[in-house]
Amino acid sequence: MDQASHTLIEMGQGEDPYRFGQKELLPIQLDAADAVVGERRQQVPLLERRVRDAGRERITRKADLVPLLFPHTTYKSYPAAFVEKKRWTQLARWLSTLSAADLTTVDFDGVADEDEWVDRLRANGHFVLATSGTTGKCSFLSHSAEDRVRKVRTFDRLLGWPYARADRTRGYFWLGPHVGVNSATDAANIGAELWSTPDNSFFLTDERLRLTDVSRMAAMRHRMADGSATPGEIACFERDQRARGDELSPRVEAFVDLLLDRRHEKLAISGLWAQHLLIRDRARARGISDGDFHPETIVSAGGGVKNVALPPDYKQRVASFYGDVIRPGNYGMTETFQLMQRCEQLRYHIPPALLPLVLDRTGETLLNTEDVTGEVIEGRFAFVDFSITGRWTGTITSDKVEFDTHPHCPCGRPGPTILDTITRYRTDDDSIGCAGTIDGYLRGALAS
Amino acid sequence: MTITAPDRARDWIGGEPARVDHFARGVPVSGDERSFGTGPNRFVAPALALDALVWPRNEPGPAFDTPVDEIMDVLVQLGDWIGCDPDGLVAKALEASLRTNPLPAGVLREAFALLGGSFTRRGMEFMIEQEFGGADVLDGWRTVPGAPSGRPVRIRAFPARVVHVLAGNAPGVAAMSVLRGALTKGVNLFKMPSNDLYSTTVLLAGLHAVAPGHPTTRSFSAAYWRGGDEAVESVLFRPQFFDKLAAWGGDAALRSAKSYVGPGFELVSFDPKTSISLIGRETFASPEALEEAAEAAARDIMLMDQQACAASRFQYVEGGTEEADRFAAALLPRLGVARRLGSAVGNPVPAHIRSEVEALRDLEPYARVFGEYTGRGLVVRSEDPVDFHPENKVANVVPVESLEHAIGRINVATQSVGVYPAARKAALRDRLASAGAVRICMLGDVPVVESGLPHDGFYPMQRLVRWVSDEG
Repeated sequence: MDQASHTLIEMGQGEDPYRFGQKELLPIQLDAADAVVGERRQQVPLLERRVRDAGRERITRKADLVPLLFPHTTYKSYPAAFVEKKRWTQLARWLSTLSAADLTTVDFDGVADEDEWVDRLRANGHFVLATSGTTGKCSFLSHSAEDRVRKVRTFDRLLGWPYARADRTRGYFWLGPHVGVNSATDAANIGAELWSTPDNSFFLTDERLRLTDVSRMAAMRHRMADGSATPGEIACFERDQRARGDELSPRVEAFVDLLLDRRHEKLAISGLWAQHLLIRDRARARGISDGDFHPETIVSAGGGVKNVALPPDYKQRVASFYGDVIRPGNYGMTETFQLMQRCEQLRYHIPPALLPLVLDRTGETLLNTEDVTGEVIEGRFAFVDFSITGRWTGTITSDKVEFDTHPHCPCGRPGPTILDTITRYRTDDDSIGCAGTIDGYLRGALAS
Repeated sequence: MTITAPDRARDWIGGEPARVDHFARGVPVSGDERSFGTGPNRFVAPALALDALVWPRNEPGPAFDTPVDEIMDVLVQLGDWIGCDPDGLVAKALEASLRTNPLPAGVLREAFALLGGSFTRRGMEFMIEQEFGGADVLDGWRTVPGAPSGRPVRIRAFPARVVHVLAGNAPGVAAMSVLRGALTKGVNLFKMPSNDLYSTTVLLAGLHAVAPGHPTTRSFSAAYWRGGDEAVESVLFRPQFFDKLAAWGGDAALRSAKSYVGPGFELVSFDPKTSISLIGRETFASPEALEEAAEAAARDIMLMDQQACAASRFQYVEGGTEEADRFAAALLPRLGVARRLGSAVGNPVPAHIRSEVEALRDLEPYARVFGEYTGRGLVVRSEDPVDFHPENKVANVVPVESLEHAIGRINVATQSVGVYPAARKAALRDRLASAGAVRICMLGDVPVVESGLPHDGFYPMQRLVRWVSDEG
């Protein structure tokens, strides 16, 4: 790792990781970006092509990075046939083109599905994270073993900021699975390790969260499209999908009861919004009143609002249910290990090892150029994360953010900050065309 | 499907939003009470006066008794009006479309220039002959001889009340819908799509200009509301106002509309489709054959810069990787040649496709990529069909052991299949049709769309009328 990246990571480990202003950070971030691009382009052919196409050999300003950023979808750009046909070495070859390391030397003998494929890569020192898509393709992101160590260290420093620090003293409740190769499960395990101890950490289930379910669905869609699926097969598939949903119910209840039984202890509770509402429902059913939790309990909620019917005031409901507890917030994603924690003024602060780039809607033009200051700009969030060496981290997200370039946050710390208004970019028009695919002909559990 | 036109978006420097007109029973309505979209895509439209857009159910529609011959006279005048553009309205609509329609300017100009071409008397007579066996059954009651009961029986293709949810990827969709609506004499409300806000209204403006107050003119309304807007659709999509919902584009168009379909309100669905090419091993018999097949394939791919459902997206080549690569190499330069409804340099390849193609570049020999993202055409040869939906002149060449092997790739979403050489067509057509394809052509002939032939497996005008019998 280059010296500038190292410096930025260490700045993020200090007493207040968010105390540095742009003037201080940007020159180091640009030095780091220049060094990282110089090294990574030799490892990642796609980056090398981008550098050549852009005709910029050196990074001297933020705009130089824009043509080098990868859309987040890059990490699921492999042909789906590789998974369907179990061509694991080919899939590793694809991931190698996006990784600093060569993954093709791993022996994939006996690998049955993509969960085992990730296991095998991890067993060989390649810390691969997956995100499970809903439509048949998972993203895979490659990291080194050292990247994972740095991730834990970053989380250790930032989790709970600015209200608390992870101190391994709480009961930890994660309303999700314990085992799995996706980043949410990884974050939950890190959370358990940092907030709690193994005997005091509780997961909804020890059953593995399988990526294979995603590819199973993809395979079924394939059979539907080519006309080989039978009515019996479709009925069975739909039944299985329903059963998976139902299976959790009694388990959820027992888990929630355990959590509620311990509500007067110092806890750390993490889950999706809908799951917090479930806990609230169960508490109501048991006659537990609002605000009946230990005041030092940490409650984190997030994500999962896509495809879930939530009441419009879900945030308010969760807030009144837990009452006066510690409610840190953060903005993060699989593609970066740097957490943007929310301050007392509900602004997200950016750690030193993350260079924020706010782009226009199309992702082509930089909006937060060096000369823009003192205004709130709306755009597509992109970044470079200097703490990851296993891949090129320059990424364009699908998030629309309001980015405040004022040198100071209302909380008094240096800016810039991101406002608490993050949404996804979506197409709000109703363009209609006569061209379309078989996807429009699938319904039920298979419809995307 | 959304296509961005970054160049045009960049050119936009603020200013007045685009204005979209409505038509209420043949009369233009202007206004800016409602605003949609943002930035360069922002447009304003009049308030939605629902009462003025529909026709009372207790009265016959204005053109129910107008003879087809007279309607064709009006439509021929409409075609001439579009061609001459005496009021400059077509030019104005084109200009507005250039600002908001994602199609490249050249293709859009040509598509507008061709709008009037749909309204030729010969074309209309062919349509009526093919779909109804003559205008008599539209104008009155046709005697049906030989009913087993021995009774005299008469039938009529009676005008219907139709609300259309239009597609906007090709202005021809609006022209064809006006044409079919006029010839079948019913009343027609068009819900315009946000990707084509001007071709429907310019056609209705033409009717208003050449035949103001004519029953056919008074049989058309057009408006914009956001697709799926429950406040509008739950009121309008009722058998009290309409018999049929003619919807293009499947789910995107139907959204909530699906829940309104029921007794008395039926769906005529113009489904979303994918088209492909089948390229036989004869292609490699000589350099001339290779050139001929590549040129023909390019014609089929480039239709509306690959925004049309008939435009080919996957080219199955009979042979191995080497043959497929040869074909791909021969195809690439042909995609950069301007042709009817196809630009030499179109919109750049969209980012979501680019990201998948970038990955394939590093996966040789599994895949090989020919060309760049500049809009001059791009060919991806791959062992399996690509996972994305190719558009903006992106061809996916896939080798197959034999053309029969490619039949597994045909499904109910398949529309046109172009075959090379033409001699292979007859042996393949039954199996292609059985698998789901609805149109089989010589390779290169796909852009020749002939009105009066079946569309997506049915005769549309037969579905846009109500078949009524008078027995005894």
